[in-house]
Amino acid sequence: MKLNRRKFLQGSAAAGGALVTAAMTPDASAKRRKAQPPKPKPAAPGKGKWLPTVCQGCTSWCAAEAFIQEGRVVGVRGHHLSKSSGGYLCPRGHLGISQMYDPDRIKVPMKRTNPRKGRGVDPKFVPITWDEALDTIAEKMIALRRNNETEKFMLMRGRYTYCRDVIYDALPKIFGSPNNISHSAICAEAEKFGSYYTEGYWDYRDYDLENSKYVICFGGDPIASNRQVPNAIRQWGKVLDQATVVAVDPRLSATASKAHEWMPVKPGEDSALAVALAHVILTEGLWSREFVGDFKDGVNAFKVGNTVDADSFDEKLTNGVVKWWNIELKDRTPEWAEKICLVPAEQIRRVAIGFGKAAPNVMCWMAPGAAMQPRGAYGALAAHALNGLVGAVDNKGGTLQKMSAKYTHIPMHKEKFKPYLDGIAKKGLKHKKIDQRGTLEFPSLKKKPGGGVVTNRAADGILDESPNEIKVAIGYWNNFVFSATGATRWERAMEKLPFFAHIVTNPSEMTQYADIVLPASFHMFERWGLVPSKYNRYSYIGLQQPIVKPLWDTRIDETEVVWMLAKKMKEKGFPNLFDYFQNEIKDPETGKTAEDEADFAKIVVKVMTERQWNPAKYHSGERINGWQEFLRIGLWQSDQYPFKKKWKKGFKTTTKKFEFYSETLKKTLGQHAQKHNVSIDRVMEVTQYTGRGEQVFVPHWEPAKYHGDEAEFPFIFMENRSRLSREGRSQNLNEFYEFKKVDPGDNSHMDVLKINPKDALALGVKNGDWVKITSPEKSVKAQVKLWEGVRPGTVNKSFGMGHWAYGRLAAKDYGKHMARGFNNNELLPADYDRLSGSTARHAVSRVRIEKI
Amino acid sequence: MSIKYGMVIDLHQCVGCGSCALACKMENNTQARAHGQSFNWADFIMWTEGKFPNTTYVQMPVLCNHCSKPRCVDECPVTPKAIYKTPEGITIFNEERCIGCGACLDGCPYSSQKLDASSNEGSSYSVISFNPFKKSVHPEWLDSESAIPGCTSSGKEVVAAVGSIPPTVNKFYSGDYPPVRNKGIIEKCTFCYHRTVVGEIPACVEACPANARIFGDLNNPDSPVAQALESHKFTRLKEEKKTEPNVYYIRSYNDPTV
Repeated sequence: MKLNRRKFLQGSAAAGGALVTAAMTPDASAKRRKAQPPKPKPAAPGKGKWLPTVCQGCTSWCAAEAFIQEGRVVGVRGHHLSKSSGGYLCPRGHLGISQMYDPDRIKVPMKRTNPRKGRGVDPKFVPITWDEALDTIAEKMIALRRNNETEKFMLMRGRYTYCRDVIYDALPKIFGSPNNISHSAICAEAEKFGSYYTEGYWDYRDYDLENSKYVICFGGDPIASNRQVPNAIRQWGKVLDQATVVAVDPRLSATASKAHEWMPVKPGEDSALAVALAHVILTEGLWSREFVGDFKDGVNAFKVGNTVDADSFDEKLTNGVVKWWNIELKDRTPEWAEKICLVPAEQIRRVAIGFGKAAPNVMCWMAPGAAMQPRGAYGALAAHALNGLVGAVDNKGGTLQKMSAKYTHIPMHKEKFKPYLDGIAKKGLKHKKIDQRGTLEFPSLKKKPGGGVVTNRAADGILDESPNEIKVAIGYWNNFVFSATGATRWERAMEKLPFFAHIVTNPSEMTQYADIVLPASFHMFERWGLVPSKYNRYSYIGLQQPIVKPLWDTRIDETEVVWMLAKKMKEKGFPNLFDYFQNEIKDPETGKTAEDEADFAKIVVKVMTERQWNPAKYHSGERINGWQEFLRIGLWQSDQYPFKKKWKKGFKTTTKKFEFYSETLKKTLGQHAQKHNVSIDRVMEVTQYTGRGEQVFVPHWEPAKYHGDEAEFPFIFMENRSRLSREGRSQNLNEFYEFKKVDPGDNSHMDVLKINPKDALALGVKNGDWVKITSPEKSVKAQVKLWEGVRPGTVNKSFGMGHWAYGRLAAKDYGKHMARGFNNNELLPADYDRLSGSTARHAVSRVRIEKI
Repeated sequence: MSIKYGMVIDLHQCVGCGSCALACKMENNTQARAHGQSFNWADFIMWTEGKFPNTTYVQMPVLCNHCSKPRCVDECPVTPKAIYKTPEGITIFNEERCIGCGACLDGCPYSSQKLDASSNEGSSYSVISFNPFKKSVHPEWLDSESAIPGCTSSGKEVVAAVGSIPPTVNKFYSGDYPPVRNKGIIEKCTFCYHRTVVGEIPACVEACPANARIFGDLNNPDSPVAQALESHKFTRLKEEKKTEPNVYYIRSYNDPTV
């Protein structure tokens, strides 16, 4: 090519001559070349305006702004007023633009014309009108009401804005189905379990990075993924300067690559490491006297193997430190832990002492890697409890809860829309949920037993018709066929569903099973929504507005579609849902009800954010003077989170203290056991934990539980989140592939299985070789990459690729349902942290690797 | 003294997230990789060293070094030069004068005529890319096929709906280089000349959430770039080529104590 182009130059003197300024002879040009370089011509930046929105490419939910030129989005940034992000976005935000302009987006409603459903079966979709689409769905739903079987309707929710009140709450309840199933338990519920059963807080914690002196990232990679990524990135240089950073991660994550210490824990043995850290903090006398208390005689009796008299300790703001020591910690030495978690004892001791000495302005940032495992509830409890030991809870530089961001639910939300429930609905609502929450095997504890969701179990519920059959389902912004482990169960469950309507932007895996597909407006730039979030000590509510005209004939999933569906159902003789909308949801300023679906979507957001924009309803935080101003700014922010307030007010636990010995867990688990008329130990046995007796109520070591035995499946499979993956939705974008290499160890344009070179040598595989990787669930093919960032005996792959639908870039062959790379969730068997109902996606399976 | 623009990349601050390169693509409307050309005016190199568990990993953002002694300019055979230095020291290109000979790519120590697979693992890169004579620019937007005929859109339909190729084109103005380059010419980082000429900072600098990129006048001792170089040891890429790069790297990507 090089030669050709040179040849071109020589051979095209005539053409070249036209390009050379006519007035110049070669001689003159030679002189001028030295004397006078060309002058740059005038230039100016692109013109446009910045309009506010919210990015939902992960659960950080960052307030953002889009640069609009001629009605097109051409750039994004963090919201310039955001006190959380400082005006920055992580790379995911930038990918949002291409996601909207994705050529494979669905532009009109469609219906399947091939009744056969399955992977590899062309649904033969054809375009239809919105009227026909909604008529079909309404007809199916009304048939359930005619047959008095409304419980056979199911609503599946994936990513969402808080307009979910309409589709997730009002729709199923007024219709009469208990089966609104959220995605939450495939996300990070086990994490929330960790903070709930210690400090009574069922939510993601905030972390005061700015003031921290020691940061343990326990199973998380905050500069790459989930959560508060832009804040973590912008603070990280300072954090590395002022604090010691430790990354607990089986692989050399982005955070580990920049940390002071990397603790490459054996996947699934996080709880062993955490209890050993706790052991050292106590034996070294580094616990917080102010938060935890002290021995009455001032002499540390926490000596290896020594049982301590509870009366000898004067405990302050915590509950059961001595019990925790006696029940679990006294023998959990670093040497003991090293054998289990494979982190050197010396390093465990060093980190525990460093952490304890730097306390209390330190944090143990507990994250899904340590929690979303079989038995992960205890990893979450143990890692989070370290914060309690050193007084880092609710403290400067430590782990925080959140400021209130009081949005307003839609009317009658609290009373569960009772005035609009008829006899059929009331009967339907009495049925049990399809995800089997609250059964003996799935305690799914939240504030009460069965209070949480077991998302992934819904596939089995559908397949086994347990507790009942599902005949009609609607799913929105979700893709469980791709995003849930044991993915093939979802393929079968979706095949079985007699009628499924999917509201979605792209023809995803789940869409392939749909009877009706409704094209959704894209969240960042095309829709109405309100999104509350928090980080960096501020809570906020961000607005999503249609800041550009929707590209296609799309509607907003959570509001517009439901309004249209309600209207259809009214026409067909079931008026309650539409009447509820018309009678109760009114524009707070004009008192008018919605004239059409677009109007409705806007009014819902206006109602739900009234405390933020209406000075007469002011609650707290920033003052915004009216709806118009709120539309312009698009962001409300709270006051700054104050430290140590909970130290004075108490925690929302049974004891009002930070619980090492969780009376709260004892109570809730007791209720569950009682409901099923068994002992708590029996519950633990059925739910596959090893802890028994008093151990159940303290953070303790739960051994890893892998599918597959070591002899047959010698490697442990571990996955990670890509910094470019928008929850599995960016894989139809060029940029995702082009820059995939920014995930440490990964290659661009590939879906590499990373393996330690030592293991590769033993297997006789080299870079780029194809291997067969087999779990007890499935065999798939992968291309290997030799990398020293993974522990021998483990293999690692990013989650995200392996789509067999979603679009022509995402799939290797969209029409033939051929996957590009492989989806980790097909390899991983479905298993759970049953106490929280969470799907285990880390440390869940062993695999075999064979050269092919 | 005249202005001499340069950039300092603080590797301690950099977390390797990729935002800079994505923001650059949006700002400068660069097309997707094809024909051995990355079209990444901003890119990355990365490598792993050591044996588990003593493994270290380094990532470095790379871009045109806007050298003071630019080989690319030396090699450019047209008069006046198609690739040339602005009075502020920025190396920019003029589309009308570029004849697509590729001589600049040969001259540049940081570029190659054709990238191979090693660029996918961050072992190679090219700061100059070439738009082949006979290949469409942004071809996916000329494609009229759709995944589900009549139901999903196509590149061509998106373009028809929004009126531009690519749909996200940022219509900046420059008399030298258009927002979307034509066939048969080279393209490269301009330090966002169309922004910096009015006092704005380059898009990669603005988007960097880590504050790892510092841009400014190297000749002004009070500027953040000069200050950064004053207070830290620095390295430049391929110093031995004696092109006097104006992109500097300070501190360490993986050793927070440096």
